[in-house]
Amino acid sequence: MIEVMFFGQLTDGTGVSSVMIEEVANTDMLINLMKQHYPFLESSTYMVALNNTMVTENTIIRPGSKVAFMPPFSGG
Amino acid sequence: METRKEKNIFTEGPVEAAFIANSIAKHATNTSIGGHSIFLGQVRADMIGDKQVQAIEYTSHVEMALDAMAKIREDIFAKYELTCMHVHHSLGVIKAGEICLFVFTSSKHRKAAIDACSECVERIKAELPVWGKEILEGEGYQWKINH
Repeated sequence: MIEVMFFGQLTDGTGVSSVMIEEVANTDMLINLMKQHYPFLESSTYMVALNNTMVTENTIIRPGSKVAFMPPFSGG
Repeated sequence: METRKEKNIFTEGPVEAAFIANSIAKHATNTSIGGHSIFLGQVRADMIGDKQVQAIEYTSHVEMALDAMAKIREDIFAKYELTCMHVHHSLGVIKAGEICLFVFTSSKHRKAAIDACSECVERIKAELPVWGKEILEGEGYQWKINH
């Protein structure tokens, strides 16, 4: 299983802060899958992190991984 | 000397004035310090349309934020001659007027402390996965945007 987490304003659209999903081969496939589940992501601004590392290109996802969808930061 | 290991910077609720005072007092024993610089972030009661911000609720991807903070700390210690640096960021609901961020740098001479404090605050706002939800009076909210 893969844990997909959502943060900030993205949780307004998903209604949940995380979902467990079956294995997906890579981050591009996962992002597309999430866009199918949550169409608002098509027009949202976010970054994706795989196991706490920012994803800048399509990356293989190992089982048991954690993927985070994060909107622009607004701390402080 | 500050250790460079990963520290938890997050506290649930506001940073209390007494905590800040105590933190300052603790440095009295380190007499090699000649200057401190402190930044305190305070929740502002902005008007959003006709509604006032009552509080900001902070959430974070804590694991990533602590990794990011460790990197910032490492960079800042490499760049400035600091004696120590302390960072505390609130999570949860922080009311208008309360302190949500406390950055405290100390050095032998003032410039390193001042510059490091300023750079640390800018990097915290830009690089830490933290989100603020501005809770408006009555009902409603809007997500904070950092400028």
